[in-house]
Amino acid sequence: MASPSNITRRALLGAAGVATVAGTAAAWPRLTGTDIPGRGEDALTILILGTSQDAAGRQVIADAFMEEHPDIPVLIQSVQATDWGDFFAKILTMVASGTQPDVVYTATEGAQLFAERLALPLDDYIARDASQLYDYFDDVHPSLIEAFMYRGSVFQLPLDFNAANMYLNLDVIDRNGLEMPGEDWTRDDFTELLRGMHGDATPYYWTNRLFGGVVPWLYIHDTSFLVEERAEGGQDFWSTFYPGEERSGGYLWTGSNATDERVHETFEYLRQLVVQDLAVRPEQGGGNTLVGLFASGRIGTTPAGGYWVQGLAEGGMEPDQYDVQFFPKWRTQRHQFGGAGYAVMKTTKKADQAWEWIKFTANKRAMELAFPTPATTPTRRSMATDAFYTDGPEHWRRFYDTLDRFPTSGPIPAPPQQAAVETALIRNVSTALSGDPDQVARSLDTLDRDLRAVFAEEDRS
Amino acid sequence: MTSDRRSVTLRWLFLAPTMLGVGIFVLLPIIGSLVLAFFRWDIITAPQFVGLANFTDIATDPRVGVSFLNTAVFVIFAVTAQLIIAMLLAVLVHGRMPSWLRIFFRSTFFFPLVLSAASVSILMRYLFNESYGVINWALSLVGIPAVPWLTSPQWAMVVVIAVYVWQNFGFSFLLFIGGLGAIPTEIYEAGAIDGATGWKKFQRLTLPLVSPTVLVASVMGIITALQIFDQPYVLTRGGPGDATRTVVMVIYESAFRQLEFGRASAIGLILMILIMLVTALQFRLSRRFVFYQ
Repeated sequence: MASPSNITRRALLGAAGVATVAGTAAAWPRLTGTDIPGRGEDALTILILGTSQDAAGRQVIADAFMEEHPDIPVLIQSVQATDWGDFFAKILTMVASGTQPDVVYTATEGAQLFAERLALPLDDYIARDASQLYDYFDDVHPSLIEAFMYRGSVFQLPLDFNAANMYLNLDVIDRNGLEMPGEDWTRDDFTELLRGMHGDATPYYWTNRLFGGVVPWLYIHDTSFLVEERAEGGQDFWSTFYPGEERSGGYLWTGSNATDERVHETFEYLRQLVVQDLAVRPEQGGGNTLVGLFASGRIGTTPAGGYWVQGLAEGGMEPDQYDVQFFPKWRTQRHQFGGAGYAVMKTTKKADQAWEWIKFTANKRAMELAFPTPATTPTRRSMATDAFYTDGPEHWRRFYDTLDRFPTSGPIPAPPQQAAVETALIRNVSTALSGDPDQVARSLDTLDRDLRAVFAEEDRS
Repeated sequence: MTSDRRSVTLRWLFLAPTMLGVGIFVLLPIIGSLVLAFFRWDIITAPQFVGLANFTDIATDPRVGVSFLNTAVFVIFAVTAQLIIAMLLAVLVHGRMPSWLRIFFRSTFFFPLVLSAASVSILMRYLFNESYGVINWALSLVGIPAVPWLTSPQWAMVVVIAVYVWQNFGFSFLLFIGGLGAIPTEIYEAGAIDGATGWKKFQRLTLPLVSPTVLVASVMGIITALQIFDQPYVLTRGGPGDATRTVVMVIYESAFRQLEFGRASAIGLILMILIMLVTALQFRLSRRFVFYQ
């Protein structure tokens, strides 16, 4: 028989109440968010896409910066997101809640969204500190700068980029008695190469994303799913830093071009690859999965940027087991690329300090700290060296040469409504390539309708 | 202060924390969402009153219609499968077997529920991959060609339903175990005397007596399934095309991809009303098939 307790119900309730109050008091910093590192500190806040380890990795640059600018404390913050679209949504949420950072590391995918709504143009700062920036611009291809111009103003100094090149698995090629294609290979040569690949390796693997998806194929067919135009402006900038270059004030994507005949031809070509089992369906693989499959000899070819070199090395692939080639030629050999750099938030009260950060991170020393391994392609040409690509493929020079050999290469089509555009594209690519020939036309009509709705929405607002 | 008055004050005092939580974290967002449904808002610029424009946009957007249809198909098949599997397994486990085996089965069937839907879906994405998934590899051993599980519109929804049912039937299973345990043994003894065995016993005795549990499990199952997001988002991202795009996915995309918070709120409001209507209908219909002892 249980003995009666000496604790009264009132005492128990009182203890529970005290415990609740004590717990609330102890958790108050968490409840109010005051325990977030840097919250309330007067530091220049830099936001990056990544994990806390990524933020810790960049701390070395922040430390170097603070050594040079002891009066500007810097705080690196990371936001984890599934992709750039997710990252931008989180930044916008931070803006709405009044906890926005001062500087954000953002890619081409968000460049125009930031330029139109969130970022500060850098033109005045660039003009003021021109003498300190010649070294950077001398070293960086103008196509990269043009991609980060919006309506005549520069919004970011790109620090890394990746063009969609073609990775070829030499193990698969050798196994099938094939040969590494030349630089001026054509789309037909590419198809023949895939047809020659037998066994358990998938000849062509692609990802259903903006980068590495259908866009590089559209570009080499001299078309795109969006109407591409160039903005006016920026002449002062070009004449100062790139004399002789005839460049625009940046790219504009003004509407749908989905029903263009060449877009249809491109989709039909890709559909044929899927039907003939030369390529996987669009939704398969992606990211690290794809790296692993390529490294284990399960993929013959796939488009990717220089960022794959480090991943393949970590996946155990030796440099002589694969190589990289330019995208094959169709009507053109225009490549697609995407880059990234820091943007200053319009809302910051530390614009001058933010500019100092941007200027600092664009110098070679800081970029060498930022990119110690070939996990991406640095925008500075002088950093593409044998030493940097020790574990890289034989023709690693092609990563940067893409811009020199094909100067009309353009950025990923990413208007300010990029997230909605990408969603519409991905959805309709998958249906277009998974059905019969009529399905291609139907899907492109739907894509056209979806894109028109996206641009109409923008016009209304 | 009289003891009655003191008692009332105490009641309100104890209720206050919960009411405060419900008010701040449930009622306020619902009201906010209701108001937002009549605005166009992209977070950055000021909200703009658009009246019923969000609702008319939704009515004319075929994608929203498809997402409601997908959700309906998902709910019908997923909840039905979940209830049938849960009930059958509960009946089997409730039968004669050593207690350690019963504990083993109970834990095993409930286990998937404690895992996060995202991590389960990531794992399943690997298993169902057309090129290198274990499932196609196993099928290839018996000569079945690779099935495009996640990349064909026909199969993708089947996989989403299968993964969801696998992960969630454990909850209904536990409810049925409880329901079966509450049936007095005398009823079965009386039935046995009348010659009820096997299927007849299940049909005439077990099923009517667990009908209140069926009602609870189906109401909770439908409410949860109507809000399906994690599994299709991670497994297929709503694809191929719109084949597995559900209502909550469209809400998420409208708000956080397209920055149309008003439109997202309007769809959310419609979903909330739909859930309330379906639940009310279930309770109404339950009068005909639920048997209370």
